[in-house]
Amino acid sequence: MITDETGRHMAIPLNVERVVTLAPNLTETVYALGLQDKLAADTTYCEIPPAAKEKPHVGGPQNPSLEAIVAMHPDLVLASTSINRPQTADALLKLGIPVYTSAPHTVTGMLNSTAEIADLMDAKDQGAKLVADLQQRLDALHALLQDRPMAHVLFAVWEDPLISIGQNTFIADALRWAGAESVITSDQNWPQVSMEEVVRLQPDYIVLTADHLKAENATQGADLSTRPTWRDLQAVKLGRVVIASDEMDRPSPGLIGAIEQLAHDFHPEVFGAKPPENGKVKIENGRYFATVPQSMKERNACAR
Amino acid sequence: MRPLTPNRIIGICAGLGALLLIEVVISLRMGDYPLAVRDIVATLYHGAAGRWDEIPSEFKLVVFGLRLPRIALGILVGAALSTAGAGFQALLRNPLADPYVLGVSSGAALGAMLSLIVAPHMVGAIQFAAFAGAAATIAAVYFLGRRGGQLDSATLLLAGIVAASFLSAIIIFLLTMVTGTELRSMTFWLMGDLTAPPPTTNVIGWFGFLFLIFVVAAGAMYTTSSDLNLILTGEQEARHLGVNVNRVKMVVYVAASVLTGLAVSVSGAIGYIGLLVPHVMRMLFGTDYRLLIPTSAIGGAIVIVLADTLARTVVAPTQLPVGAMTALAGAPVFIYLMRRRMR
Amino acid sequence: MSPGAGNGASLAPQPIPFAAPAHVRLKVEQASYAYSATDRSAPKFTLGPVSFEAQQRELVAILGPNASGKSTLMKLLAGLLKPLSGRVEVDGMEVSELEPRARAQQVALVAQESELLFPLRVWEYVLQGRYPYGKRLRFESDEDCLMAGNALAQVGADGLRDRWMDQLSGGEKQRVILARALAQRPELLLLDEPTQHLDIGGKVELLRRLRRLADANRYTVVVVTHELNLAAEFSDRVALMHKGKCLRIGSPAEVYQREVLEEVFEAPLEVEIRPSGRPRVILSGNH
Repeated sequence: MITDETGRHMAIPLNVERVVTLAPNLTETVYALGLQDKLAADTTYCEIPPAAKEKPHVGGPQNPSLEAIVAMHPDLVLASTSINRPQTADALLKLGIPVYTSAPHTVTGMLNSTAEIADLMDAKDQGAKLVADLQQRLDALHALLQDRPMAHVLFAVWEDPLISIGQNTFIADALRWAGAESVITSDQNWPQVSMEEVVRLQPDYIVLTADHLKAENATQGADLSTRPTWRDLQAVKLGRVVIASDEMDRPSPGLIGAIEQLAHDFHPEVFGAKPPENGKVKIENGRYFATVPQSMKERNACAR
Repeated sequence: MRPLTPNRIIGICAGLGALLLIEVVISLRMGDYPLAVRDIVATLYHGAAGRWDEIPSEFKLVVFGLRLPRIALGILVGAALSTAGAGFQALLRNPLADPYVLGVSSGAALGAMLSLIVAPHMVGAIQFAAFAGAAATIAAVYFLGRRGGQLDSATLLLAGIVAASFLSAIIIFLLTMVTGTELRSMTFWLMGDLTAPPPTTNVIGWFGFLFLIFVVAAGAMYTTSSDLNLILTGEQEARHLGVNVNRVKMVVYVAASVLTGLAVSVSGAIGYIGLLVPHVMRMLFGTDYRLLIPTSAIGGAIVIVLADTLARTVVAPTQLPVGAMTALAGAPVFIYLMRRRMR
Repeated sequence: MSPGAGNGASLAPQPIPFAAPAHVRLKVEQASYAYSATDRSAPKFTLGPVSFEAQQRELVAILGPNASGKSTLMKLLAGLLKPLSGRVEVDGMEVSELEPRARAQQVALVAQESELLFPLRVWEYVLQGRYPYGKRLRFESDEDCLMAGNALAQVGADGLRDRWMDQLSGGEKQRVILARALAQRPELLLLDEPTQHLDIGGKVELLRRLRRLADANRYTVVVVTHELNLAAEFSDRVALMHKGKCLRIGSPAEVYQREVLEEVFEAPLEVEIRPSGRPRVILSGNH
């Protein structure tokens, strides 16, 4: 009998051979752990890594087909509070199918989740190794950045209306690891912010999230400098608009890579790179460390 | 001169009932889990005989845990909404009235929302809170909708619209305040969802309870069907013929509202059924409420089971909400009916 | 009773003539009613006390200008209002105390119009008149169909049986509405201004029919109307109302006295007696 991250109790079989994931970040985690052979099915939204698209699907994360899940004969189902409804987990538990729901609020929490999932899937060693690797990278970052002042950033999940992130989200925690602090302090998870507030706060950097398709276009940053009010912000004038990889949207191992990229963008001096020139808008996208694991390199290739 | 006889009513209802049965059988066969007809039959047979151990656990799960409850709930909700719609159309003297026009569904939705925010994991909380919200709205609109101590159609309609707007405003306000998880659940609930599992382990008991409420409310409405026929040719004239118009209006109001509250609290707000099914039944079988009430009930059940079966199989494994299917089909039917009236 | 000689322009109520002891259907005894704006203020309008009787086969017309109390009297007769004093009896029973369905078996208040929400056939509509008999949730019996058929025949609308109500002409609809009232098998038929929406042909036709129903089918018919001449032509007796009081009751010739009529209706009128003995009211030359 175990207790998952939402407080639900359930019995999980000792040998977990067939797993169904209900969230893209969990699919990614399973692949990062190298356990994709145990993945019986995922959702129609699971596209990272591309191989996940070939797996059988059970529907969308919001309303998966319970019958399809049962048809997969899963030993364990993985869900996440970041995208799944609690009713889905409740319904599956009622049917006698164990559902482990992770509730990621911090980067460290995500690492613990990963370790726990690896443990449940009978791959404790692989989990420990992956977590250790990721932790090491985080620690390295921390060492480099600990004497630097925090960059003040505005993380925009959506521009129109302008929606940012709350203090308790894992994105806010990820930003801290990247040496930045969100200028918006709110207890709501996705606070709507007025432009006036942003003008008042004058963040050092504006961070936008890359849409997987838009990254090909690479015009997003240019858009800001033509928009009223936005173009008057210091950050935009100085060309400090950063596009975070869409790994930032998901609490998965790939998040670490995204953190590293952002750290590089916020504190280029530390890494021996030149800051962007004044007056020009530079699009920065996806430069990662050399020690990145294989699976992430695949993803980067896709992001370009 | 061929007046309506009980035999004719029973005959027509039996015919519709047979249609429903066929539909249920077909619906049991459809779904993402591959299940052959003989497996379904065997499962049902063993289950009915009490021999649960002889059924493979997954079959039991899919047939008794997923498909049957969904179909049963669909029958209940469809019947309840259509009967309520027929009642409201008579009460408000308006063929375009539907069960939500008096704000009952908004009250139920608000109750459900509050329960999702306050106690998202408590078993049965959402149904209870939704029904409580519906009941409170029923009472409030009743007191607002009176004129000279009696229920007046125009005043009632106004009171209902005001209540619905007010409650919707509160719901929207809450939606902007809550965090991500509750929002997702709420949106789903608002669109109509027949998959909510029963809050108790005694599934048969739960459905028995729901059907009991349905039978009592619909039955009460049925006892006024002769009266309603008269009231529809003029309230004053009905009074002169000896109809206790005030009492009839009260009974229909409470019964139809209870039916709406029941449906909304277990499945969210599924639209168009309460409006259209009584109309179609009127077109097919006439306006006599002694026949209209039972045919609307069975007709509603047939339509919802159809809509739900389509919703879960048409773009499998993606599941569409039932409310989306009824709206997709309902809107064209509504337009067709409107044009017929104008001709 | 003062035949012919006008008793001056006296507006005092005259004594009621003694009715022959035939079967008394309707008996109104010192019935009065009052409307007040609130419970405590003085009454805005008082009716009565009114007394008269009507027998079977009688057609009584209630005449008077607007606000003379005609409608209030009608409601008292229908048992919709309880008289503040006095009694209104049909076949010996106080109407306002009868249970509504029992009352509907005795008294039929004929509607002026019918506003149907959904389409209905004529026979369905007329069958509804059988509602007062049997249980509340009822299915019509063979006897009900017989009664409804008879009612349609009595108004000469048998051929309209299978037609849709909303496809009838004004006159046809009037007949059907009347038939529904007759299906109630009432003792007393009450009609409140039934000729309002009809043209002159329709008015005559209706009054003729009511006359026939009274004569041949022994109904007692009470009609509230503005039509002075039609009332004179077809009714047995006429009651003239003025400011809540019943001024005169008697045969048309007795009641239609020029001075009284001019006073009550505030119009220059003349009364002619026709060869049939029935009076006719016309506008006089000097206006």
